[in-house]
Amino acid sequence: MNSSPQASPSGSDRGAASDIAEHARPTTAESIISLRGVRKTYFRGKEPIHVLQDLDLEVPVGGYEALMGPSGSGKSTLLNLIAGLDRPSAGSLLVAGADLGAMSDSQLARWRANTIGFIFQAYNLMPVLTAVENVELPLLLTKLSASERKRRAQTALRIVGLEDRMHHYPRQLSGGQEQRVAIARAIVNDPQVLVADEPTGDLDRQSADEILTLLERMNRELHKTIIMVTHDPAAAERAHITRRLNKGQLI
Amino acid sequence: MIPIAYNLRSLAVRRTTTLASVLGIGLVVFVLAGALMLSAGIKQTLGRSGKSDIAIVLRKGSDAEMASSIESPTLGLILSAPGVKKDASGSPLGIGELLIVATMDKIGVDGVSNVQIRGVPEQVGRFRKGLQIVDGRAAQPGTDEVIIGQRLRGRFKGLDLGQSFDLRKNRPAKVVGVFAYEGSSHESEIWADIDTVRQAFGRAGLFSSVRVQLSSPSQFDAFEAVIEGDKALGLDALREDRYYEKQSEGTSIFVTGLGVVIAVIFSIGAMIGAMITMYASIASRSREIGTLRALGFSRPAIMISFLLEALALALSGGLLGIALSLCLGTVRFSMMNFASWSEIVFSFSPTPGILLSALVFAGLMGLFGGLFPALRATRISPLSAMRD
Amino acid sequence: MRLSSLSVRNVWRNRLRALLTVLGIAVAIVAFVLLRTVLSAWTVGAEASAKDRLGTRNKVTFVVPLPKRYIETIRQVPGVVDASYASWFGGKDPRHENEFFASMAVETKTLFSVFDELVVPPADRERWLNNRKGALVGDVLAKKLGWKVGDTVTLQGSIYPGDWQFQIEGIYSSTRKVVDRSSFFFHWDYLNDSLPEGSPQRDRIGWVTTRIRDPLQAGAISQAIDRAFDEQEIQTLTMSERAMNLSFLGMVSAVLKAIDLVSLVILFIMMLILGNTIAMSTRERTREFGVMRAIGFLPHHIALAVLIEAIVIGGLGGGLGLVLSYPLVERGMGRFIEENMGSFFPYFRISEGTAVAALVLALLLGLSAGLLPAYRAARLNVIDSLRRAG
Ligand SMILES: Nc1ncnc2c1ncn2[C@@H]1O[C@H](COP(=O)(O)OP(=O)(O)O)[C@@H](O)[C@H]1O
Ligand SMILES: [Mg+2]
Repeated sequence: MNSSPQASPSGSDRGAASDIAEHARPTTAESIISLRGVRKTYFRGKEPIHVLQDLDLEVPVGGYEALMGPSGSGKSTLLNLIAGLDRPSAGSLLVAGADLGAMSDSQLARWRANTIGFIFQAYNLMPVLTAVENVELPLLLTKLSASERKRRAQTALRIVGLEDRMHHYPRQLSGGQEQRVAIARAIVNDPQVLVADEPTGDLDRQSADEILTLLERMNRELHKTIIMVTHDPAAAERAHITRRLNKGQLI
Repeated sequence: MIPIAYNLRSLAVRRTTTLASVLGIGLVVFVLAGALMLSAGIKQTLGRSGKSDIAIVLRKGSDAEMASSIESPTLGLILSAPGVKKDASGSPLGIGELLIVATMDKIGVDGVSNVQIRGVPEQVGRFRKGLQIVDGRAAQPGTDEVIIGQRLRGRFKGLDLGQSFDLRKNRPAKVVGVFAYEGSSHESEIWADIDTVRQAFGRAGLFSSVRVQLSSPSQFDAFEAVIEGDKALGLDALREDRYYEKQSEGTSIFVTGLGVVIAVIFSIGAMIGAMITMYASIASRSREIGTLRALGFSRPAIMISFLLEALALALSGGLLGIALSLCLGTVRFSMMNFASWSEIVFSFSPTPGILLSALVFAGLMGLFGGLFPALRATRISPLSAMRD
Repeated sequence: MRLSSLSVRNVWRNRLRALLTVLGIAVAIVAFVLLRTVLSAWTVGAEASAKDRLGTRNKVTFVVPLPKRYIETIRQVPGVVDASYASWFGGKDPRHENEFFASMAVETKTLFSVFDELVVPPADRERWLNNRKGALVGDVLAKKLGWKVGDTVTLQGSIYPGDWQFQIEGIYSSTRKVVDRSSFFFHWDYLNDSLPEGSPQRDRIGWVTTRIRDPLQAGAISQAIDRAFDEQEIQTLTMSERAMNLSFLGMVSAVLKAIDLVSLVILFIMMLILGNTIAMSTRERTREFGVMRAIGFLPHHIALAVLIEAIVIGGLGGGLGLVLSYPLVERGMGRFIEENMGSFFPYFRISEGTAVAALVLALLLGLSAGLLPAYRAARLNVIDSLRRAG
């Protein structure tokens, strides 16, 4: 059964570009992320919980920003909004030229596939897939041939320095190695933005440093814009800017 | 011991899975109980037809009344045998009847089926005291009027009060009454005047069987000795209950056999279902179990706790299955009796024994299904409480 | 790699559970095949009955035979090629009290032209035809009771009381699979001539089997035969062999319906087992689905992945069940039933239709058992499922 999803293109082949262009609007030339008056309110029953309140944020192309703040301050919520996983309750949200608030779920999904690379605290690799297959996973959404997918996945693994662990399963890798595979998976589609939610939260100091070095390279050499949520001051130090969130407001 | 409420609550938390397993086990129990109830119903229906203090005399070698024939004059000989009870006026209690199987058109489905017609003498009520007219009236002796058993009603063309059917060409028989007969297989028969049946079916001067009332069940041996002793007569005497037991053997073995084979196969499936549920339940609680062990609960305590959980799961299924099977009580099941090639209507008869064994069966399924998962639970180390 | 290989590998992820589930479905399939085979064994007689044969018997009851002269009238009916009569003897071998087999007195000279499926070595056939006390028995029966050509056997009659002696002169088999190979045939003339002069059973025949030229004319010829006896004392009922077998089925229709119902219940149980497993394994993978959705996979990709998983398990269970069914149902139970209940189930084999149905149903059940979990997995909220631990 051919279940390779008929999906949206990647890299140079931007078939869904028109889809996204509809929602494009001029941004400040150097801003890739632009939030104006963004608000996010959850409801627990009837009671509203104002998680984010009137946020304004500009992130320049090629920026590397750390987001810190106490637990529950809304860091993940903000990150999810930027990554197009969630919609704001109010305000406007422009990322990589797309007006996220106006897009449908499936448009958002396609947009994410092209634009965003995800790095999670718990790595979130598929345990039944080998390293190279995990990296290949996002490419299933493209029209690329099997051999081309494989080639790209291998390249991405080489970038993170794990080509010799290609056929290992996640459980055969250390935490740091797993996170490197996850980073390879995040960049394999050549997205413009990487979002990382506490990427070093589960790692020891040395592995954490390796991951941070890798992220730095992604930013410097591959020109990825990176937004990283972290509790680790050492991690935040590596970023260009550290922003602090408290009770839903940037301070 | 770990309180059972802990297990019950965890079953409730995994609602869908629990429900699926309960339903699965319930269906297995339903099928098993249904088959046993039908088998019991067959034995009961045919068993009610037979009494130990009645002897039935058939042609030697005949398994069924239908295949037997006894010449009229022999009746006197049989009635004069020792052990036959006499009534107040001193005449022996016995009855000669003629049983014929007639082909009739079914109602509702296309096709024909066999129905038994019993030709009975005028004083049938003197011998057959269980007979009770529930609708209409008794048939006039010496006429072509017939009465039908209540289980036949409405199942064949012409077989209902006021209707008529052809005994043979241009010889309609009119249904004037509907009778009950202690829930026995007679309730699936047509009763007509014996002379009418003899004429209509060309059986002049013949009986199929002779039944006699014994003065006591223990008189049977003496009676049998005389009847079977006279080789020239070529007759067989049987106790009536034994006769009907033999009649029901084939059919009830078939039903029980098929039912049990299916239930056993099913139960393997249901046990596997319970196992899957229990394994999942234990896997997702390894941390809890580790904590329990760390708190000082012993391996046997863990084992018992999970076996009880499996038992609770299975017993709920068992109860569901029993509840479902009790709904069968109103269902009438018409089936060919292999011994007479004619249809008899049976009902599902739930006996306490069947319900109990169905429940025990469910419990066993739970215990067996829960055994391996419970064993695995005991092997969970207290350390897993600490891990991540 | 493909999305489907992700599903297939997820099947094996919890090996024990997958194995148990596959086994559970296999067991259900065995039960299903068994019941379907019981059903088809009942009906196979009707389906495989000779199209060019009619049976004629007493209209009101099979217990009362027909006058022998009817055979001549029937042979005169246009379209009839040949006719042969027989009477039910209903005898038993006293040495094998509990063995039931069909015994009948037949018209020998027409038997083989009407029942052309009977296979008898020519020498045996000659001997049997020439020995008035000769018997022709089916090979299955002969094997079971240990009879050989040349043996003398005594049957005890019930309809025709007394002890009857026969010499086994031939053993038949059949070219058609559905024929009862446990019957006992002997000369009708021997039976009739042994009855006392004036006995009401003399010159009576139980039924007549007719071979007709054109099967399409079966209805018309049946009516013509019955019309010929319309004004007689005893009327007849003529039916095609197929109709006769079907009316027998009608008598056991409640049993057939019950079996049918139970086989539906099996399917339902299968669905429960399978659905349960799929639901559990998808619930445990909530977070993985969340990751896939974040990466850009759409709800229908997730649903498809779950469905493929369910179908794979269903197919594996169906395949295994079928593989187990042949030795269990066909070779084990089937041989036993054919040998011991040959008169009811002369041919107890798994039909191709049953095998295909079992496999297709296993796949379909996989599909339907996967529907709800697939729908649920597809509808998961991405953020919630990412938040969820494990
Ligand atoms: N779906 C939701 N419904 C209700 N409240 C939510 C939901 N998601 C997040 N929250 C609340 O929003 C606040 C911010 O959560 P989050 O962004 O995860 O914080 P952080 O990542 O900074 O620890 C928390 O108080 C959390 O309870
Ligand atoms: Mg967070």
